[in-house]
Amino acid sequence: MGLKKYAEKLDDYFERLKQGKAEKIEATHVEKVIRKLNAKKQQLLDEIQTTTKESKKARLEQKLLFAAEHIKRAEMLLEQISK
Amino acid sequence: MKKYFLPVALSALIFGFWLSPDFQQIAAGVAIFLFGMLMLEDGFKLFSGGYLERMLEKATGSTVRSVIFGIVSTTVMQSSSLVSVITISFLSAGLISLIGGVGIIFGANIGTTTGAWLVAGFGLKVNIAAYAMPMIAVSIILVFQRAKYLRGIGYALAGLGFLFLGIHFMKVGFESFKDQLDLTRFAMTGLLGLIVYTLIGMSATVIMQSSHATMVLIITALAAGQISYENALALAIGANIGTTITAIIGSLSANFQGKRLALAHLIFNVVTAAVALVFIRPIRDAVDWVSAGVGIADSDYALKLAVFHTIFNALGVMIMLPLLNRLIAFLERKIVEPVPDKSKPKYLSEAVDEFPETIEAAMRKEVKHLYENAVELIAHGLNLSRHELFETDDIAATVRASRKPVDFDIDERYEARVKTLYAAIVDFATRTGAKNLSPDVTDRVYVLRDVAGKIVHVVKSIKHLRRNATEYTIQNQGAVTEIYNGLRTEIARILVEIRKLDQAEPEDRSHLWLDEEAAHVEEDAKNSIRVVDALIRKGSLDADAATSFLNDSDYAYGAMRDLLSVARAFYIESDSAVAEVERLLAMDEEDVAEVAAEATEA
Repeated sequence: MGLKKYAEKLDDYFERLKQGKAEKIEATHVEKVIRKLNAKKQQLLDEIQTTTKESKKARLEQKLLFAAEHIKRAEMLLEQISK
Repeated sequence: MKKYFLPVALSALIFGFWLSPDFQQIAAGVAIFLFGMLMLEDGFKLFSGGYLERMLEKATGSTVRSVIFGIVSTTVMQSSSLVSVITISFLSAGLISLIGGVGIIFGANIGTTTGAWLVAGFGLKVNIAAYAMPMIAVSIILVFQRAKYLRGIGYALAGLGFLFLGIHFMKVGFESFKDQLDLTRFAMTGLLGLIVYTLIGMSATVIMQSSHATMVLIITALAAGQISYENALALAIGANIGTTITAIIGSLSANFQGKRLALAHLIFNVVTAAVALVFIRPIRDAVDWVSAGVGIADSDYALKLAVFHTIFNALGVMIMLPLLNRLIAFLERKIVEPVPDKSKPKYLSEAVDEFPETIEAAMRKEVKHLYENAVELIAHGLNLSRHELFETDDIAATVRASRKPVDFDIDERYEARVKTLYAAIVDFATRTGAKNLSPDVTDRVYVLRDVAGKIVHVVKSIKHLRRNATEYTIQNQGAVTEIYNGLRTEIARILVEIRKLDQAEPEDRSHLWLDEEAAHVEEDAKNSIRVVDALIRKGSLDADAATSFLNDSDYAYGAMRDLLSVARAFYIESDSAVAEVERLLAMDEEDVAEVAAEATEA
């Protein structure tokens, strides 16, 4: 999902890195973001459990979907920079 | 008073030159010494480049640490004035506490005594000019380098070289001067001498704006036998009072905290001077005792003066430290924090203009101040209460229930609380751009300026939206009320999400949380025409209301996009590599559309 754009952004990052215009991303940097995203995911799961209003629940589930997508991309990035 | 200063000073110099050619050498020595101090300050400003500022922040964790930091930084920089000006700047930017700032000033008073030791122990005993010349020659090569830190070292080295050269000229000047004119004829003994020479020391320091320069002058004159030891002690006490002038001048452009610090400096130095004057005899005895103990000759009055300077400043700190909390309470009583005027910039004063860290921190806080004012206007503009929104767990229901118009003039409030702040922010950013700061700092300041611009844009959109949003929601008019409430709810929801981001710990928050909000805005914006079409076909919406809504929804979605963009830029990760990761992971419109489509399919 949306991975073409992500790949373009990644190429652009590596290009900027080569030119010395971007900060080098280390595994710890990506892990920090994954930790933040997992915390948010857990917070959303807790909120969904206590929410009774259907429309609000649907909205929270959509937020959860985004958090999962971010985590998936972060894990891919972690793999790529660890190669 | 100010207009007479220049002619009087110039006349005094010309009279001195006429009186004695050697006076020229002494005056030139003082001028070169002061020039050296200016270069040293410039060097440290370049050399520090944020390091000094970070140290200052950490060093004010406790009073003892603040005092130690004041001692060390003043010893290294050889300028208590520079340390006090930096401290005022940090205090004004809200980066350190008042108690921490006062601790630094106490320490700076001890640190400044190392200057007397340097001159008395080193400057008078060796041919100091022999060190000065190579320092100045080497420094000039460094000054012309492009690298900022090399230039910083160059200025600092040149500063030190000129300080030494100034001391040399003063020393030579006084030695020749004594053959022509015996200043000891003007020596005074007893209480009168003490008072008169204290006042002279104070005035000389106010004129030169450097107690360091006054001390060097006193020590060299004393070493040349041009003044008596007793009078030199009084001059040193006077110099300690006069040195507060720099902090007082620096505080004129600072906020109330900077003014409190300048008052603390004045109180400390006046109390210390008063104690030294009252207990001059026991302190003299203590100086003799310490001098004998460390092997200083009884006739070495220059070194004994350095001992005296150290003892009476250390005594001042010992007296004042236990009274620190009372002093802070007194300062807070005397200089009352002004009632916050939301229409005036709180953090952007000239006092924060000097250092990169204070510039960025003050700018960030001012933009936050602007945002808070804007949130009030946005909420009230849509007839909502911020407090109710931030507390409710059902935003849509709260918005539906908020029907009563908030009675205020949005144009007037915009002029007073948004436009004036924005103007100050733009002005500050322009001033910053004209400074020779690192491109990183300048770029971040410009990003914050642009964030402020977007905040202003959001408020303007709400101004457009207010009339119809009020007209169609103060009572239930069916579909049109529903769709206007929909816009109000979405804006309110984004305000609430930004507040959640703000309240999260900086280590835990990520602007990626806003991606879903962005997706929702785009989805709603796309659907709005379809929804309006359907309502018109059903006969639930007339053409007038439909046109108004379509116009207003443009403003509303524009405001939502701007708000999200503001939050993404403002709450960006401070670690640039982590910020890079978040940039890569952030989903743009295309990504969001795909995720939204998947969500619908699921």
